[in-house]
Amino acid sequence: MTQNPIPQGLSVFVIEDEALVALNLESMLDDLGCKVVGPAMRFERAEQMLEEGISADVAIVDVNIGGRKIFELADKIAARDIPIVFATGYGRSGIPAEWQASPVLQKPYTDQDVRNALGAALAQAGQAGA
Amino acid sequence: MVLDPDFNFVAVNPAYETATQRSRGELLGRNLFDVFPNDGEGGQLLRASFRRVFDTGKPDTLAYIRYDLARPGGGLEERFWTAVHMPLADEHGTVGHLLQNTVDVTDLVRLREAASLPFRLAETRLLERAREAEEQRRALLDESADFRRLFQQAPGFFAVLCGPDHVFTFTNDAYMRLIGRRQVIGKPIREALPDLAGQGFYELLDGVYQTGQSTGGEAVRLVMRNAPDEPPREIFVDFSYDAIRDRDDGRITGVFVQGMDRTEAVRTQRRQRLLLDELNHRVKNTLATVQSIASQTLRSARDLASGRADFEARILALSNAHNLLSAQEWASAELAEVIAGTFSAFDPARLDIDGPRVTLAPKASISLALVMHELCTNASKYGALSCERGTVRIRWWIEDGGSGPLMIEWTERGGPPTRQPERRGFGSRMIGGVVTGELGGAFDAAYDREGFSCRIKVPEDALVQD
Repeated sequence: MTQNPIPQGLSVFVIEDEALVALNLESMLDDLGCKVVGPAMRFERAEQMLEEGISADVAIVDVNIGGRKIFELADKIAARDIPIVFATGYGRSGIPAEWQASPVLQKPYTDQDVRNALGAALAQAGQAGA
Repeated sequence: MVLDPDFNFVAVNPAYETATQRSRGELLGRNLFDVFPNDGEGGQLLRASFRRVFDTGKPDTLAYIRYDLARPGGGLEERFWTAVHMPLADEHGTVGHLLQNTVDVTDLVRLREAASLPFRLAETRLLERAREAEEQRRALLDESADFRRLFQQAPGFFAVLCGPDHVFTFTNDAYMRLIGRRQVIGKPIREALPDLAGQGFYELLDGVYQTGQSTGGEAVRLVMRNAPDEPPREIFVDFSYDAIRDRDDGRITGVFVQGMDRTEAVRTQRRQRLLLDELNHRVKNTLATVQSIASQTLRSARDLASGRADFEARILALSNAHNLLSAQEWASAELAEVIAGTFSAFDPARLDIDGPRVTLAPKASISLALVMHELCTNASKYGALSCERGTVRIRWWIEDGGSGPLMIEWTERGGPPTRQPERRGFGSRMIGGVVTGELGGAFDAAYDREGFSCRIKVPEDALVQD
């Protein structure tokens, strides 16, 4: 299994509407040496954070926040050149065509899954920037 | 000769006068069955043939019929006939008269009786063939009436289209239901069902008519609009188009349309897929929640035994919250029941719980059940419920006269003095995450000498208005 190296101190913007799931993801990211931005658990909160201007290296975004699809926010995140990892209970089939290139975390996920998804998102962003 | 719909003679020609030995004056204006009474099979067959022509507007042939005529001098004369009956339609298309072209074949029948004569064999055979043909035709007529009835009432839809413009000549009951009982017989399909334009069906029919190649589809979507002012209906059909060929030269004369309305089945299938997707989503999310509870509980557990006990209690709290929701078909849960479920293992004498009826949205009810469970666990481990005398008082109300956020007040008394823990455990992280993060509310806790107390504010969007 290839292990993508995760730079220490990587800042990760988290949008996740289940407090318990967000809590666990925070612990996982903490273990991976990442810094959590958020987590935003409500759509309006995530929107507000984006408008105020966040700085993050990568984002892990739940597809469904309080019954609302997240993709309009994903556009705003991508506009800031922040690569996105989608987390969802639906799996990849719940991701629209224009986002199919992004890494997907199928819930429930392990810290290894998180590490791999973050690595893939960073690698893609690196290629895109090069 | 020509008959009106009551079978009265309207016109006769000299050949008919000769064959029946009646003059024009004896016939015109009189009823055929008065002039030539016949209560036998011949009379029935002739009447039936006349009626078919008037009813259907189509020609009818009696290849062979025995119809005895009264002799002018008295007595009956045995006579055999071949007759063709043609409808005569007026300018409105209504069949007003019937034209009979009849040939007296009695002599040929006589020949049959003399069939032993070899040189008459050919004529005899001709006659027998005519008789056989008539019998066969009658059998076919009965059979085709049966078939027509079967087609008419079949659960599948059927339609027959004729010519390059696909003119409707037959539609059964199911087809009429499909197209909203519009009158289409005699009209080309582009005129009869204009709402199908742009959906590819005209073109498929053109193709079948031109090439003879059958075509069709399964669960094909189409949009129908019975009238321009009616809302469009989405329909799904299995269908096939097959060329109808002329029996003699094989030329394509039309298209046979058949199929099944599958709308209900497709809708049910879609609903099921949606439900399955939703179920899968919920199961995965619940598993993620359980994973988090397991992982967080184990991270903060002092030892394996206490970790296991804490984990089980939390899973049970989650399960109880699901039960409450399930009882309300996942629409809502009552706050009083959520709280009561949390304290089911405790002596009611030590609890003082009161508040108005408040209905929680599904997600909020699960989250608050877990919060209540953590508060209760802390109280029983370190607070008022950890000793014999302590009590817990819970009050809730809706701010702003019932239209604002929900406030829950939790007060412990009679237990050991409390102080702020040095390290935030899973419980307090979880409560903070749920109340401030997930619900967008506020959580204020006070650790006093008299005991622990807290206030939880839950925004109104977590509540369901009854």
